[in-house]
Amino acid sequence: MTLKETFLNPILKGNPITVLVLGICSSLAVTVTLKGALVMALSVTVVCGLSSLVMSLLRKGIPNRVRIIVQLVVVAMMVILVDQILKSFEATYAIDKQLSVYIGLIITNCIVMGRIEAFALGNKPWPSFLDGVANGTGYGLILIIVAFFRELLGSGTLFGIDILNRLGYVPNNLVILPPFALILLGCIVWVQRSIQKDLQEK
Amino acid sequence: MNTNGNIYTIVYTTVIVVIVAGILAAAATFLKPSQQANIKAETISQMLQAAQFETAGMNNVQKLDKYAAEIDRAFTVDAQGAKVKDLDVSRGNIELEDGLKAQNYALAGKGGYTVGLPVYILKDGVTVIPCYGAGLWGPVWGYLAIEPDGCTIKGAYFDHESETAGLGARIKDDPAFRSQFVGKKIAWGQEPRFDIIKGGAPAGQQNAIDAITGATMTSNGLNGAINNWLKAYEPYFNGIIAAKAAEEE
Amino acid sequence: MEYLSLFVKSIFVDNMIFAYFLGMCSFLAVSKNVKTAAGLGVAVIAVLLITLPVNYLLNTYILQPGALKWAGLPDVDLSFLSFIVFIAVIAAIVQIVEMVVEKFSPELYSSLGIFLPLIAVNCAILGGSLFMQQKDFVNIGEASVYALGSGLGWFLAIVSLAAIREKMSYSNVPPALKGLGITFITVGLMGMAFMTFMGISL
Repeated sequence: MTLKETFLNPILKGNPITVLVLGICSSLAVTVTLKGALVMALSVTVVCGLSSLVMSLLRKGIPNRVRIIVQLVVVAMMVILVDQILKSFEATYAIDKQLSVYIGLIITNCIVMGRIEAFALGNKPWPSFLDGVANGTGYGLILIIVAFFRELLGSGTLFGIDILNRLGYVPNNLVILPPFALILLGCIVWVQRSIQKDLQEK
Repeated sequence: MNTNGNIYTIVYTTVIVVIVAGILAAAATFLKPSQQANIKAETISQMLQAAQFETAGMNNVQKLDKYAAEIDRAFTVDAQGAKVKDLDVSRGNIELEDGLKAQNYALAGKGGYTVGLPVYILKDGVTVIPCYGAGLWGPVWGYLAIEPDGCTIKGAYFDHESETAGLGARIKDDPAFRSQFVGKKIAWGQEPRFDIIKGGAPAGQQNAIDAITGATMTSNGLNGAINNWLKAYEPYFNGIIAAKAAEEE
Repeated sequence: MEYLSLFVKSIFVDNMIFAYFLGMCSFLAVSKNVKTAAGLGVAVIAVLLITLPVNYLLNTYILQPGALKWAGLPDVDLSFLSFIVFIAVIAAIVQIVEMVVEKFSPELYSSLGIFLPLIAVNCAILGGSLFMQQKDFVNIGEASVYALGSGLGWFLAIVSLAAIREKMSYSNVPPALKGLGITFITVGLMGMAFMTFMGISL
């Protein structure tokens, strides 16, 4: 696989959410608002890329029996470190307040762990980094699509700015509950697989 | 090299844990002072916002200046309403009681903590008190500003650690939720002293507001936090109200 | 009676999947047939049953404020460590379960594939520990009952989804929606149905 394929594959054909079924919990929790989805997408991309890079560098020395613990410790350290650094500057403190809500969700996001297990442990650092970043991006793309519909229909706003309410729209509370996110995800899968027919399951 | 041997595994794990712990401990120690300065400024800005002062666009220094200009005196009280100790309010040495979590444990009778509930009194006579409790995913806390009469709410500000954005997080993000508190009256001596009602508070009920749709657990948690803490503050406010009544006679 | 109501409550009212939407990734990916689903369900019950009491003890005697009174340190508050400690305990126990399953049931091991290590980041497991911390259980018995109840709730959810999916293979689903797409939508509908339990107080 060329580097370009490594990067593009997770965004379209091997999308972590709609094809690999990873990271669903967080995609339900953070897609009520577009802003939340954007923050989560960016942080998962960064964390996923960096942890894949570090784990790929460590891959030859890790004893197989303790690899999960090592992975989790590295990922958790990365997330906590980023959180601590952002928290200590006045300018970034407000950003960190947005992020710290998702710390737990980022550490337990199975995309990070899943890509380390499936890719980084068997590949060189640079492709692993690209794979991590690409998976974060593919994940973020779906988050933003779902969040767009949920915020628009559930609150009548986009990024907190009133769009539909002024036209007399009454926000639909069902949309902000998790089951609707699942139904939306189902529709996204439907659209994606209608276009990319080779992904259809028999 | 055999990377699956017992000795190798143990040595490897130990080294990784030591490195990670070292990095995290170093980061925590090194960054702590600046983090605490940020947290202090934020706490102050939340108290000021509860008391209806605008702090948007202010930097940390300006927030502290504003607080020092508005605050009259601050102290902590125990569960009987008696003063425990004074908190310094001078600009150079602002002291806050920020161990809300520890105080919450003390109220529940747990841990080795003694009750020392903070009371912040502003120059216009408004009293700002905190509350703290469990939301859906993590703690929720906030500040209530109470008018000099001891029962009318002047304003409120809430914050949370990890409530769902767009649902529970609206206790902080939605100005409409906060503004419901303005002008409400705490029903001292009744259960509940203040109520956040799912499906909407009945019109005319002076001590109740509407819960957030879709965020029942967060609303319930916040309601519990407010009521627990109001209950603890009741002796202090009873004292204030009684003193006021005596003064008027 | 306390125990019974806690047990029933944690299965239905506080169902990990349908009330909190935790542990979705493995829930969706390993529910193709009832047998594998039941296997993963049992694994989740087992991991919850071990990790929750262990984390309860750690929380009560080491982590929570004032917990170190027995060591003469009543003022120490280590609760900031709880996240990383819980994660490490879970990862260690998952690794042990993985080794046991590999030894005694290679068939189950191969069909669970990547999802066994991913139990470590199964939000339901970590969620269980974090909810335990919040619910302030008075003794280890309550914590264990809660673990069993939420594990069983997860088990029931995944087995019923697997049963529906087995039946669904005979129905005429649009080709692009087959498999993952219709599963998302089914789970969304099941979630709405389970919401009827939400208002019940026991």
